[in-house]
Amino acid sequence: MIGMEHAWLLPVLPFSSFVILLLVGKYLPRRGDWLAIGAMVAAFVLFLFMMADLLGELETGAEFEGVRSGIQWLPLEELGLEIRLGFLFDQLAAVMLAVVTFVGTLIVIYSMGYMKGDPRYGWFFAVMSLFLASMTTLVLADNLLLLYAAWEGVGICSYLLIGFWHERRPAAEAAKKAFITTRIGDVGLLIGIILLWREAGTFDIREIFEFARGGGYSPEYLTLAVLMLFAGAVGKSAQFPLHVWLPDAMEGPTPVSALIHAATMVVAGVYLVSRTMPLFDLADPVALAVVVALGLTTVMLSATIGLVQTDIKRVVAYSTINSLGLMMVALGAKSVTAAMFYLFVHGFFKALLFLASGNVIHGTERQDVKELGGLQSEMPLTALAFGVGVLSMAGLIPFSGFWAKDAILHAAQSHLNAAVVGWLSFSIFLTALYMARLYLLTFTGRPRDKHAHEHAHEAPPVMLWPVLTLAVLSTVTGFWAFDQVGEALGFPGGIGRFVFFEEPESFHFTAGTAAISIVAVVVGLAVALWAWGGEAAPARRLAETFRPVHNLLLNGYYIDRFYQWIIDRVVLLAGRTLAWFDRVVVNDTGVDGPAGLGVFWGYAMKFVQTGRLPNYALAIASGVVIIAIVVLAVRV
Amino acid sequence: MIPLEHFLVLGAILFSLGVYGVLARRNAVLIIMSVELMLAAVSINFVAFAGYIAPEEFRGLVFALFVITIAAAEVGLALAIVLRLFRNRTTSNVDEVDTLRW
Repeated sequence: MIGMEHAWLLPVLPFSSFVILLLVGKYLPRRGDWLAIGAMVAAFVLFLFMMADLLGELETGAEFEGVRSGIQWLPLEELGLEIRLGFLFDQLAAVMLAVVTFVGTLIVIYSMGYMKGDPRYGWFFAVMSLFLASMTTLVLADNLLLLYAAWEGVGICSYLLIGFWHERRPAAEAAKKAFITTRIGDVGLLIGIILLWREAGTFDIREIFEFARGGGYSPEYLTLAVLMLFAGAVGKSAQFPLHVWLPDAMEGPTPVSALIHAATMVVAGVYLVSRTMPLFDLADPVALAVVVALGLTTVMLSATIGLVQTDIKRVVAYSTINSLGLMMVALGAKSVTAAMFYLFVHGFFKALLFLASGNVIHGTERQDVKELGGLQSEMPLTALAFGVGVLSMAGLIPFSGFWAKDAILHAAQSHLNAAVVGWLSFSIFLTALYMARLYLLTFTGRPRDKHAHEHAHEAPPVMLWPVLTLAVLSTVTGFWAFDQVGEALGFPGGIGRFVFFEEPESFHFTAGTAAISIVAVVVGLAVALWAWGGEAAPARRLAETFRPVHNLLLNGYYIDRFYQWIIDRVVLLAGRTLAWFDRVVVNDTGVDGPAGLGVFWGYAMKFVQTGRLPNYALAIASGVVIIAIVVLAVRV
Repeated sequence: MIPLEHFLVLGAILFSLGVYGVLARRNAVLIIMSVELMLAAVSINFVAFAGYIAPEEFRGLVFALFVITIAAAEVGLALAIVLRLFRNRTTSNVDEVDTLRW
């Protein structure tokens, strides 16, 4: 019977597919796309078996600590260190894997349609396989070192896929930007891992928890270490101030945006913090305060920028940053349940939004809302699915986003303060506003580009049914909040009884928070309808009236410009100074200096050689006299 | 008996004349002759010291003989060089022989 101890197979399946596609992919029929899809489907089926096993285990009612499997990787006996290629399957990993394997499967199928005819079709599926192998390893890793390796693995796949059309300069630059920006965070993560290992002498996550609970780390040390871990999460999960790479990452193919830059990789930071929540809990409260502060900043920043962007994928990208900020706030409130619940439903509705935008882009070959509009009649099913995604993201009852967002509001209310709830409610209003704007500008109103509109057509079935599947899931997955629904499906209860930190959190529907968020969403939708409905005249008037604000938002608060300024003025200046030092001090003085000295003295001394015999004779004679005088003087 | 100092003064005068000749003369043959003068001065010193300090030994005299022998050989060699120089350059003026200067 296949069960949880076969977790190691989960990364192995897509990895084998990657290796085969890389080596012999171009000789396979259809460039081997069926192999990548087959590996993904197999991984999903394997996950279902593991899930069944896990649920059977949970039914016994005993305390469940997860099942470990794997092999020794690097035995370093002299250091008393054993690094395992070890996998840990527990509830937290299960929720994450559900998103990774299921959404991943749908998206590779969708890619068959979207990437059709691309010259690097086979390479796309090879890298997608490598990504899924890395991602599953990241989720299942039982030690921080393996997690870090997988973390960098997903980073390199993200780089390769953002720059998939690297002939286009913006794509190549976006790929570099993403890689370098996340690398800033990754250095922090590595430092954090080293700090944790230095005291505990192990990379094993569970053993580090035990060590920390036993008071092995001093509070300041632990706080520093977890903040370093969080730096990694900030980079990967595009939190302020390292969020700048995610909107640009939309240069990649849309399935990549959906899978990597929405549903899976970018939530790795949230997953990391959830995984190491016991450490955050033991550290100084300032660590979690930092998480909350950055989360809140990110939420408001992305929501306001999202209001004015015109590229359909960039708006969705800012909404992703917005969602990630919400999850971080939930984690700051120590609610792993709320964060993972949001992560779970977000995986579906954000993938849905991206794939539906992909259909729009595929159908019209436009992705700027200024050139779209009125597509509802041409692409009814995509419009319907996109609408579901918008309402989920906005969080209208009863779509999944509502329940997850409600859990976060609850957590904020009980662990943080009313100001945070107010801040979040305002961001929810903004979210509803810009998501509705995106729908209205894309699918309703008058077509702004006649040619694109006439050309528009509904997507082929292979691209349509993954979108519709995700639309259904985005509608229903939120009900997992309720214990009754969970029990009916064979879970111990709602998600709060499945994934939690320290003690189960049951979902309580309270009229107060629900009312706040429903009012915020409805007002947001209504304002959007007023501003952007029809000819969008009020919106244009507002943009004219508040031109400076509009420009500020359009340029993303000039954060990119600011970073560019730092690079141009500070980094390059430092570089030029060092180059000057190297050229002038090291090369011209240190190396050429002694050589020049030799040349100079050789030139100066050659004049001694007059070639006149009397001069030499005089030199000899006077030399003898001087020696004689010196010898006599010494004698006396 | 003539005191030793007289011989030494004669040697010194001859040697100085030789040095002056080497430094001041431009003709290679005259320079060689000046060198011979210096060698003769040294020989006088040797013989004088030999006679006044250790008359029963011959060490000084033997040195004088060696000096004469070597001087003869040296003059033979040096005159041969001067001869070749004159054949090549049609001059024996050392100022004009400065090919090795900078």
